[in-house]
Amino acid sequence: MLRYLGHRGQELTPELDRRIDELMERCLAVATPRMCTAEYPVESTGAGVRLVGTGLCLTGADIARHLEGARACALMGVTLGAAVEREILLLERRSMTDAVVFDAACTALVECVADRCESEIVGRARARGLYTNFRFSPGYGDLPLELQRDFLAALEASRRIGLTATETSLLLPRKSVTAVVGLFDRPQRSSKRGCESCNLRESCELRRRGTPCRGGGD
Amino acid sequence: MVIERDAFLLFDGAMGTMLQRRGLAAGELPERLNLTAPEVVREIHAEYVRAGADVITANTFGANGRKFEREELREIITAGVRLAREAGAKYVALDVGPTGALLEPLGTMPFERAYELFSEVVTLGAEAGADCVLIETMADLYEARAAVLAAKESCELPVLCTMTFSDGGRTFLGADPETAARTLDALGVDALGLNCSLGPRELLPLVREMAEATGRPLLVQANAGLPEIEDGETVFRVTAEEYAAAAEEMLELGVTLLGGCCGTTPEFIERLRALMDGRRPVERAVRREFAVTSGQRTVRLSGGVAVIGERINPTGKKKLKEALRSGDFAYLVGEALDQQEAGADLLDVNCGLPELDEAAVLSRAVREIQGVSPLPLQIDSSDPAAVEAAVRIYNGKPMINSVNGKEESLEAILPIVKKYGAAVVGLTLDEDGIPDTAEGRFAVAEKIVSRAETLGIPREDIAIDCLVLTASTNQEMVRETLRAVTMVKERLGVVTVLGVSNVSFGLPCRELLNSAFLAAAFGAGLDLPILNPLSSAYMQVVDCFRVLNGQDRGSERYIGKYAGATAPGAVTRAEAPAARVETEEDDIRAIILGGRKEQAEAATRALLERHTPMEVINDYFIPALDIVGEKFEKGEFFLPQLMASAETVKLGFDLLREGSVAAEGPGKGKILLATVKGDIHDIGKNIVKMLLQNYGYEIVDLGRDVDPALVVEETLRQGIKLVGLSALMTTTVKYMGDTIRALREAGADCKIMVGGAVLSPEYAELVGADYYAKDAAESARIAAEVLGG
Repeated sequence: MLRYLGHRGQELTPELDRRIDELMERCLAVATPRMCTAEYPVESTGAGVRLVGTGLCLTGADIARHLEGARACALMGVTLGAAVEREILLLERRSMTDAVVFDAACTALVECVADRCESEIVGRARARGLYTNFRFSPGYGDLPLELQRDFLAALEASRRIGLTATETSLLLPRKSVTAVVGLFDRPQRSSKRGCESCNLRESCELRRRGTPCRGGGD
Repeated sequence: MVIERDAFLLFDGAMGTMLQRRGLAAGELPERLNLTAPEVVREIHAEYVRAGADVITANTFGANGRKFEREELREIITAGVRLAREAGAKYVALDVGPTGALLEPLGTMPFERAYELFSEVVTLGAEAGADCVLIETMADLYEARAAVLAAKESCELPVLCTMTFSDGGRTFLGADPETAARTLDALGVDALGLNCSLGPRELLPLVREMAEATGRPLLVQANAGLPEIEDGETVFRVTAEEYAAAAEEMLELGVTLLGGCCGTTPEFIERLRALMDGRRPVERAVRREFAVTSGQRTVRLSGGVAVIGERINPTGKKKLKEALRSGDFAYLVGEALDQQEAGADLLDVNCGLPELDEAAVLSRAVREIQGVSPLPLQIDSSDPAAVEAAVRIYNGKPMINSVNGKEESLEAILPIVKKYGAAVVGLTLDEDGIPDTAEGRFAVAEKIVSRAETLGIPREDIAIDCLVLTASTNQEMVRETLRAVTMVKERLGVVTVLGVSNVSFGLPCRELLNSAFLAAAFGAGLDLPILNPLSSAYMQVVDCFRVLNGQDRGSERYIGKYAGATAPGAVTRAEAPAARVETEEDDIRAIILGGRKEQAEAATRALLERHTPMEVINDYFIPALDIVGEKFEKGEFFLPQLMASAETVKLGFDLLREGSVAAEGPGKGKILLATVKGDIHDIGKNIVKMLLQNYGYEIVDLGRDVDPALVVEETLRQGIKLVGLSALMTTTVKYMGDTIRALREAGADCKIMVGGAVLSPEYAELVGADYYAKDAAESARIAAEVLGG
């Protein structure tokens, strides 16, 4: 979690150390993590990868490569819920230091929840004799963020977990993740998520510091 | 169509499940099927009619102006209602689901925009001939409130509203069933209840909570159990038989309107038909008592007392007046949070200053406070237009302060109370002023209650204020007030409210006298004291009385708070450690570098003994902050350390500002900050704001999702020389370019700095910015370059 705050081994004062622990506890207490998934067959079209039975078409070269040969894909949406949003607004009024630490704790937690959701998808796929690859999110590579609303509609995420998007395709509540996982009949080359296909590659602070978000790097 | 209180009505089951069975999956816009596959939709409706449903829900759930163009929307809704009618429906419900966008303050959709969207749908539905409006699957009480208001104001049809609850027994936005029921009841819906998300068994306890909180007919449409995933398909496992068994228990609780949601089919509806045909509605016992709500909680008295915080009222408060005039709502919100932490149960909000547009300011204050505080509010104004504006956009069931016995007041305020289902404070004064005797005040109270009841305002929503006069000038009246409280409470059966602190006006040791009066008033039957909760003396009286009246069960709270306290009066708010700080430069520097906030005040005070405020700022604060900035730059400090230091300085600044006007000094100039339109990630902007404030700049913070036009308007109006814009996402950076272009086109004479995750120096140049601020420390350097200092 500390790396989201730009921590590179600086010595923490005992006060700050304690406060960080308290705010992480608070984050766990306040958050109401929820997840939802949906599975759709896929078909490649000229426009992109279409999810059969939905209005969602995943465009871009990266997702086409990611889902090449997939028989279906699993969509996932996870969120920490509205309560942490409210808590961030509250902390911003009280102490920006607390708000920043709490915000980072939420970022770390929502990634954990996404990991958990992804591993459930993987587990269910395995039980059916299917193979998977890693989760791929709108905004990652050249998969446009703009399809977030269709993505959420295909998941019925608003009704199921209260996850929505703004007109500008930003997720609300903010501490949320959407992603797609490919489902295959054959094992996939263990392709690890890394910075090479990330479109934030050039400006990424985490990568610059040498602590990339997936622990991978390039 | 009329929704009777004592008659059953059977609604239909799921549309989506039935569509899926026919190979028409979710994900696409299913409402379009009204136009592209009308025969399928009509046939599904007909199956439910054959199963015995009285009410058929038109296939219009997601039909709104956010998803469809106006003309297509009209066609979809018209066809939707028609198809249900053609299927032989006895009654057709226009189905209204959520907009799919999150409302402000957590989201970006304004309440008014949601209202417009719903109003459009309901108008089209009524024109198409629907018999009632069914607002359903609402996860946000605030959005539900917008929908209900829009429905009631756009048609004459019955309006029903059901909320969806998640497994924790709350909506996604945090409302519990009682709060939802009381809030919707207040708006005068014809029926309310729950639908979706859970199975009928899981909904039972939530149904019970609602049943006790409202006398309105209850509608329940559960899912066929919790969805499970099997072979990639969502399945519901509760059978029609199991569903009917749980439904039977709901009927026992007094539910009269039943139907189904996801996973239910005509088979389920058939079962429910058989169940209802063999039974009669059960009458419910509803607790009638004083209660108000916010979007997240209910405050009801149930024989206890509740504290109303009085501090948000500019009368006699210089700082609050200034804050209201300058639009500094952060100060107001701070007051709200302080009172909340001190134990207030409700907050009074008064923004009355002669030179302000009270309707606008009061509404803004309500929004800002409700954005961070879950406490119900008491809307306090003598201007009926301001009261209505604020009550309208309020989230929950508010309290209005106040109406009085004057004809003019009764005529202006009571209709607002009735329309929005608010609770109201009735002041016992009329055209002849405040009656001298308890009997006189009782008579005014009686008049207010009777006039309210004539309009259909229930007695339990009225709180009578018998008015406290000053003991120093009207000593004999104090007893009359207390006597009136007892009379009103016993004979009229309403709750009572008093602003306690008036009693001590003009006398020394006011807290002492007020505390004694508060205790006496509790004894006389006071339920809702309006007081300053930051005074521990008053809160001690409240804590004690809650033991004596049995509200504090087992004295748990009392023991928790006072165990270990030695003597009355010994319990005070935690004091900062005594000032034992030397004032040497090194010490203040160490305090700032260490982010030791608790020592900031004492150290600043000590410095002030030998230095002017300007010297403190320029010779101590700023140099220390510069060191912090350097350490951050070099990587010796990371972000929370930088911020803790800045906050430490802020406390020092606050003290300087409090101390003297001179401390504000010549000012280092104004900087305008905004997170651009479409973007809601503003934490970076807020960090920059805090840091710049601590360098002595005045910050005009326009918030997040800010329209370019507003940035231009404020920049020109306030003569801003430096504008800072933030954007986090690729989809919103374009609005940064738009905003900069708008500023340039308007001829704004200002420099522009930009920052945010996706930005780079190159990108900053591309969008036309003058500076790229890679972090908060950099923004301070830019500010110094542009504005000097």
